Amino acid sequence: QAPASPPAAAGAVTQQPAAPASPAAGGIQSQNIFEVKPDASADPNYAKQSNGERARVQPGNNAPMWRDVGAGVTGYTSLPKSEAPEAGNLIQPFVQYPGSRLTNAGEAWRQVRNNWIIPYGGSLFLIVLLAIAIFYFSKGSIKTHGADTGRKIERFTPFERAAHWSNAIAFSILAISGLVMAFGKFFLLPFMGSTLFGWLTYVLKTAHNFAGPLFAVSLVIVFFTFLRDNWPQKGDVNWLLKGGGLLGGAEPASNRFNAGEKLIFWGGVFFLGIVVVSSGFVLDKLLPGLVYERATMQIAHMVHAVATVLMMCMFLGHIYLGTIGMQGAYKAMRSGYVDEAWAREHHAYWYEDVKAGRVPAQRSEPAPPSQTVQV
Amino acid sequence: MARMKFVCDAERCIECNGCVTACKNENEVPWGVNRRRVVTLNDGVPGEKSISVACMHCSDAPCMAVCPVNCFYRTDEGVVLHDKDVCIGCGYCSYACPFGAPQFPAQGTFGVRGKMDKCTFCAGGPEVNGSQAEFEKYGRNRLAEGKLPACAEMCSTKALLAGDGDVVADIFRNRVVQRGKGAEVWGWGTAYGSRQAGQPPAGAKS
Amino acid sequence: MLLTKKSQGIHTDPARRAGSARFVQSLSRGLSSALPTMDRRAFLRRSGLGVGVGLAATQLTLVKKAGAASPATGDGSGKIEVRRTVCSHCSVGCAVDAVVENGVWVRQEPVFDSPINLGAHCAKGAALREHGHGEFRLRYPMKLVNGKYERISWDTALNEISAKMLELRKASGPDSVYVVGSSKHNNEQAYLLRKWMSFWGSNNCDHQARICHSTTVAGVANTWGYGAMTNSYNDMQNSKCALYIGSNAAEAHPVSMLHMLHAKETGCKMIVVDPRFTRTAAKADEYVRIRSGSDIPFLFGVLYHIFKNGWEDSKYINDRVYGMDKVKADVMAKWTPDKVLEACGVDEATTLKVATMMSQNRPSTIVWCMGQTQHTTGNAIVRASCILQLALGNVGVSGGGANIFRGHDNVQGATDVGPNPDSLPGYYGLAEGSWRHFAKTWGVDFDWIKGRYASAAMMGKPGITVSRWIDGVMEKNELIDQDSNLRAVVFWGHAPNSQTRGLEMKRAMDKLDLLVVIDPYPSATAAMAAMPGKAEDLNANRAVYLLPAATQFETSGSVTASNRSLQWREKVIEPLWESRSDHMIMHQLAEKFGFAKELSKNYKMQKVKGMDEPVPEDILREINKCMWTIGYTGQSPERLKAHMRNMHLFDVKTLRAKPGKDKETGYDVTGDYFGLPWPCWGNPELKHPGSPNLYDTSKHVMDGGGNFRANFGVEKDGVNLLAEDGSYSKGADITTGYPEFDHVLVKKLGWWDELTDAEKTAAEGKNWKTDSSGGMIRIIMKNHGCHPFGNAKARAVVWNFPDAIPQHREPIYGIRPDLVAKYPTHNDIKTFWRLPTLYKTLQDKNVADKVELKYPLILTSGRLVEYEGGGEETRSNPWLAELQQEAFVEVNPKTASERGISNGGRVWLSTPTGARLNVQALVTERVGADTVWMPFHFSGHWQGADMLAYYPNGAAPVVRGEAVNTGTTYGYDSVTMMQETKTTICNLEKA
Ligand SMILES: Nc1nc2c(c(=O)[nH]1)N[C@H]1C(S)=C(S)[C@@H](COP(=O)(O)OP(=O)(O)OC[C@H]3O[C@@H](n4cnc5c(=O)[nH]c(N)nc54)[C@H](O)[C@@H]3O)O[C@H]1N2
Ligand SMILES: Nc1nc2c(c(=O)[nH]1)N[C@H]1C(S)=C(S)[C@@H](COP(=O)(O)OP(=O)(O)OC[C@H]3O[C@@H](n4cnc5c(=O)[nH]c(N)nc54)[C@H](O)[C@@H]3O)O[C@H]1N2
Ligand code: HEM
Ligand code: HEM
Ligand code: SF4
Ligand code: SF4
Ligand code: SF4
Ligand code: SF4
Ligand code: SF4
Ligand SMILES: [Mo]
Repeated sequence: QAPASPPAAAGAVTQQPAAPASPAAGGIQSQNIFEVKPDASADPNYAKQSNGERARVQPGNNAPMWRDVGAGVTGYTSLPKSEAPEAGNLIQPFVQYPGSRLTNAGEAWRQVRNNWIIPYGGSLFLIVLLAIAIFYFSKGSIKTHGADTGRKIERFTPFERAAHWSNAIAFSILAISGLVMAFGKFFLLPFMGSTLFGWLTYVLKTAHNFAGPLFAVSLVIVFFTFLRDNWPQKGDVNWLLKGGGLLGGAEPASNRFNAGEKLIFWGGVFFLGIVVVSSGFVLDKLLPGLVYERATMQIAHMVHAVATVLMMCMFLGHIYLGTIGMQGAYKAMRSGYVDEAWAREHHAYWYEDVKAGRVPAQRSEPAPPSQTVQV
Repeated sequence: MARMKFVCDAERCIECNGCVTACKNENEVPWGVNRRRVVTLNDGVPGEKSISVACMHCSDAPCMAVCPVNCFYRTDEGVVLHDKDVCIGCGYCSYACPFGAPQFPAQGTFGVRGKMDKCTFCAGGPEVNGSQAEFEKYGRNRLAEGKLPACAEMCSTKALLAGDGDVVADIFRNRVVQRGKGAEVWGWGTAYGSRQAGQPPAGAKS
Repeated sequence: MLLTKKSQGIHTDPARRAGSARFVQSLSRGLSSALPTMDRRAFLRRSGLGVGVGLAATQLTLVKKAGAASPATGDGSGKIEVRRTVCSHCSVGCAVDAVVENGVWVRQEPVFDSPINLGAHCAKGAALREHGHGEFRLRYPMKLVNGKYERISWDTALNEISAKMLELRKASGPDSVYVVGSSKHNNEQAYLLRKWMSFWGSNNCDHQARICHSTTVAGVANTWGYGAMTNSYNDMQNSKCALYIGSNAAEAHPVSMLHMLHAKETGCKMIVVDPRFTRTAAKADEYVRIRSGSDIPFLFGVLYHIFKNGWEDSKYINDRVYGMDKVKADVMAKWTPDKVLEACGVDEATTLKVATMMSQNRPSTIVWCMGQTQHTTGNAIVRASCILQLALGNVGVSGGGANIFRGHDNVQGATDVGPNPDSLPGYYGLAEGSWRHFAKTWGVDFDWIKGRYASAAMMGKPGITVSRWIDGVMEKNELIDQDSNLRAVVFWGHAPNSQTRGLEMKRAMDKLDLLVVIDPYPSATAAMAAMPGKAEDLNANRAVYLLPAATQFETSGSVTASNRSLQWREKVIEPLWESRSDHMIMHQLAEKFGFAKELSKNYKMQKVKGMDEPVPEDILREINKCMWTIGYTGQSPERLKAHMRNMHLFDVKTLRAKPGKDKETGYDVTGDYFGLPWPCWGNPELKHPGSPNLYDTSKHVMDGGGNFRANFGVEKDGVNLLAEDGSYSKGADITTGYPEFDHVLVKKLGWWDELTDAEKTAAEGKNWKTDSSGGMIRIIMKNHGCHPFGNAKARAVVWNFPDAIPQHREPIYGIRPDLVAKYPTHNDIKTFWRLPTLYKTLQDKNVADKVELKYPLILTSGRLVEYEGGGEETRSNPWLAELQQEAFVEVNPKTASERGISNGGRVWLSTPTGARLNVQALVTERVGADTVWMPFHFSGHWQGADMLAYYPNGAAPVVRGEAVNTGTTYGYDSVTMMQETKTTICNLEKA
């Protein structure tokens, strides 16, 4: 690119060539490490020698030091630890992450990310997307069969809805930005050009970094809000065995939340949530007291990426059912109320509980006057 | 075309940090961003050796491979550069780089790191050669001026060599032949893929 | 889709570039790279094209616009100039090309042609351009008012300072003022300051050399003639073995290692002897750890084996050395291996090995620096080193010699021609003859100068040394050897934290009537003075002034590197802020004192910022006219400048110029040695090439050859002091030893008529040193191949020193009372450089007090590559400051674990002065278990407290830390008053 031909090398200006070393009497003999003397290496402790010890028997053979370097040993640097914790490492240590060769950590991480997470994670996500699409186009959305009764049951209180939606919004931001970060260069960059794509990604990445903690907070609230009704209950097993009705037959009766929702709750919200949030906090450098070395970040990233891909896949299903996949579901979360018909059809046990007064049909205060349900 | 490479001769480097400040000076790199640094192993004990390290402009550059926005590019001389207008400061390149070359102007809380900065082999960046914009973002473009990296040009003992890989290797080979020792070229295995130091510990020479 | 250069069209059109917002540019760039019509190759081609066209212009495209830091620039012409200057941080003398645009120093380029550094720099040299920012410098004169520094005008400052000085002069005499000069001044400024001081009427001036290499200068000059590095960094490429003892060149003279490491590659062996395993030791073939202060036992332990095995060079010793037999007897009796082991901790096998390496690999050289000099026995240690080299016949030999690495960039020059308390420029003593020589050169009346002094006696009496100025203030008046105590001190380019006994210095500063600091970075002194001390110490009338001096990049002048080469610095930029050059300030103060006319009589004036400043070239010409003793006479500004322009002609190994002419002046540099290393004899017209290696008899004197100097008479107790027959420099007409020349000898030899008539008039009644025509030197050298200073023997026995044969003596503060009994220090001296000086009483008291129980660790100190001297200048340079952010102490792991100290933890370091320093611990095996080491470059913390509040606003350095010298102890060399900074004691505890 630079058309001028620069001087061949900075070192070229060093010194005039000098006469080859003449072995001077009485002094230390130089030693070519490629001609290692057998007597020196015959020392039983040869392999354990420090660089200084090695220099005594084989001057110039710095193998012990280079071995240390390869092992990621930390040398001295005048840069303060507080400012540059890893400046003393010449090269990242050798590790083998799941899916990588034994190589230096940076390269190992690259292999995991580029050879596994990106292609397989991306494929998984696409497959789930595709499966849902096929399902939708083949089966369509789940309709409510019975006619609306006009009688409403309050399914979600305003507080529950607020918690859910802030969580959902944060999630959407995180998912979209995360997807662009991970895969944008394959599907957006070619169309947008690097400058635009760079800006977009920069905005999204910044949004991701700040939305993460928001998501974490709202996730905790969501978790405790919905915890009570997500404990395993009778009927869950039956619901699962019948595949929620998808395997044919009518939709099995369920409680306020069916077993599928509970799976998402425990697997997605609880388990993956913890994993995603904690790894996210590491990536965001928000945990006080932790030293953010590259190894920490690599591991956090791999955990985060795997967990988020799984989480996105899971919630793709959730979102599908929450929107176009099931009639009335979205309305429930938006307005908070469902028609009795919907409740009876999808959450029969819950409907019974409401009817039996075990669960109040209106939980939030003040109750909307017109919709007071009398029993 | 020349393939630019660095060699740091551990038998010569005296940890004087000349290369480090030369870089700061020439490229006006801010405090906290260390495009080049010097590491001493076995500090204070016999066998002590120092090595100056910066971006090695790797042949199969891990940084380039992981960058989510593909902002890296390689010049015809093998110099790995990046575009700060595109960089999103995600830090992935620094996780991937074996040598810890990528640097960030900010500490990274909430992931705010600022645009990545690293050694450019004194070859500037994608802006017009020698322009003010190029200088402000990437430092000097010495290659375009027909000069070589400031750090190597100023190295106090000529331990640090930079330039056409073949020439650099020749100079180094000469030295090794003269002194009959100290043949390892640090980091070349990792950066350029030959079987040298930097290979798995199991395979290391002893 | 990879791009390599951003689209050209947008950028090449300046109008569009200015007009369109960055967003639009960037956007269109992004779009253009996304357009399917342009593939990557087309894109490349397009940008490549533009680049090719732009290249001619970019060869030197310096895009940095004139910065705000420069108040005095901006003619808008965008003029780019390259000015050649020399690094101001150490004596290696690395050349630098400063690129200046519109008066702003925008870049620095390596000078590959420099035979000294071949473009190489250590951290300090590579960060030199920071001097062009001067962000943390003092910007204008300031005065301490109610504990705060306030801005004042230059006029006010000069008026008030001069009024106060004149008042003190009237009340207490000229000797009540002390001026600490500087080795940072160029030769012209250093010389002018000595002249200025003489016109003020006092010898109370000194500079860094006192606390640096004064012991070397005295010891070595008394051994063979001149107190300077005999060979050069470059010449070390010819060495077969190098013994570094008390030098950490890798940090203190990094670029010298360029030559040494090259030598190593061609087979040179390297030995390092140091209490600390330094970065230099890391490069050595052999490292020997000794106890600090025990160099004589080690050196004589080595010499023991040399004598024992008959490895000494007998012919050389017979021909050229006086007193080696006596030394041999002493060594063989006193320094048997068991005693060596006991005194310095080195076993027989090791000393034998070192002796073998040095003997079997000749020419072998010795390198020393502060590890040897900064002791109460410094003068003796350096002579022991000389003796070793003399025994091996290594002196006056290429590849051999005593390679004494000097300190500051111009400490050699300032020692040669600068403000020394015991001599006039050129080592002319304080005798009347010297004064008359200078009165004549300066064009003033001898009696007038005499009248300026308190008395004729004071004119001939060496002044107080910088190491002791505090005692000049504090000592009881009846005990000092001058009328008044010191009442005013001017720090003119010298830091306070470089002198020992910081606690007492603070008290002395408070007691003064006047403290003036003239420095680009006066802040360490300023903060120390402003910091509240003990109320009873404070002089209510004390006045403190800070004057911003210009740096060496804001003026021009010559600077002498360690190898005695002179280099000319071009002015890089105009003085920043309100700063003024030192020689301008000298002239302006002289105006106030009424002797400006005399001071600047021989100089033309140039306008700088509209004010008069003596022209440096004229000052150098005056130096050339009188400095015959050391051959500072041939280095005319014209010759030096021609060398700077034609560096490429000089050979790196020999420093000699290949045939070539300076294009600008037509001057033929052929055969010159680079920088005309002094002695460069005679007038510039003689075209003496300079002396690359001193005392080298294998070369003709007109080729830079020589022999040992006849400076101590012709015989001693019946023993011949002149060289033996047959020992003479190549081509000399006299093939025996001979004394130094004067008019009588020249006439006796029948050479008188070779002088011109004018020369005869000038030379009549004179010797070669005072013949102002240089005629005698011309005929002696050119016509007869002889040396004007004679041909004599070096002295292994220096009978005029306290220890004629170097004797080991324990430091005043030590941890080995058992050894004090065997090797006690000197007796106290009642008046020594005008002050009473303690040795034995203090050492005995320490033994009696059992200080070693309370302070069981040896404390030594030294350098870090990033910082220089007191460090205020380099710690104000962010590029350097980032690399060393904390003051620290190196502790051995064993010592640390005994005290529960962890690496990186804070510790309290306490010393017998009562000082307590709070520093970071660096736990390392670099030091032995009985020793700790601290860099001495820090200041700005005082016994745990940050002094930031006492700094002048905006002039505090980036990094501050505890100064080791706050805690260092009493102890001075018995010849030169060198402070004992390399050996004291301390204790450490976890903070
Ligand atoms: N970076 C940098 N370079 C400098 C300077 C600077 O301030 N910073 N200053 C310049 C100046 S002014 C000078 S004088 C030179 C000084 O240059 P040097 O003298 O080389 O430097 P120091 O570190 O003071 O001391 C050298 C060594 O002496 C060792 N030492 C201590 N006590 C003893 C002893 O009793 N015997 C022996 N044999 N060794 C001992 C110390 O451990 C140290 O490693 O450096 C010049 N160069
Ligand atoms: N403990 C301990 N103490 C030591 C030593 C040690 O090894 N250990 N080493 C000693 C030695 S060898 C030395 S040389 C001294 C060094 O100590 P100093 O020489 O006192 O230290 P520097 O900070 O270099 O001081 C030089 C001053 O000159 C100023 N200056 C620079 N250029 C100019 C100029 O052009 N004009 C003027 N007017 N001022 C200028 C700088 O700003 C700085 O303030 O320290 C000695 N003290
Ligand atoms: C459910 C929510 C989340 C999803 C779907 C998600 C997804 C992703 C994805 C896909 C990436 C990119 C990985 C790659 O490019 O290899 C990523 C990176 C990241 N995520 Fe998340 N994430 C989520 C939650 C969080 C949370 C809660 C936090 C923080 C508290 C967080 C912080 C980060 C950070 C810091 C990165 C690294 C990228 C950068 O620094 O900009 N994420 N995330
Ligand atoms: C944009 C995306 C989302 C939409 C459209 C959406 C929609 C819905 C809807 C309609 C319901 C009600 C289902 C019912 O009535 O049974 C619901 C319930 C719920 N949603 Fe979401 N949701 C989204 C994202 C999320 C996210 C990111 C989380 C948590 C990580 C989440 C957690 C929950 C929980 C916990 C429930 C209660 C049911 C249960 O506990 O299983 N939702 N959602
Ligand atoms: S050294 Fe690091 S930053 Fe440089 S090219 Fe290699 S991987 Fe990329
Ligand atoms: S920090 Fe910038 S250069 Fe590095 S990987 Fe991220 S976007 Fe790419
Ligand atoms: S090549 Fe240039 S940018 Fe890279 S480290 Fe050296 S000086 Fe800095
Ligand atoms: S300048 Fe050269 S010798 Fe000094 S630290 Fe850098 S590479 Fe090493
Ligand atoms: S400090 Fe000394 S060695 Fe370093 S660049 Fe300056 S002159 Fe050269
Ligand atoms: Mo010094």
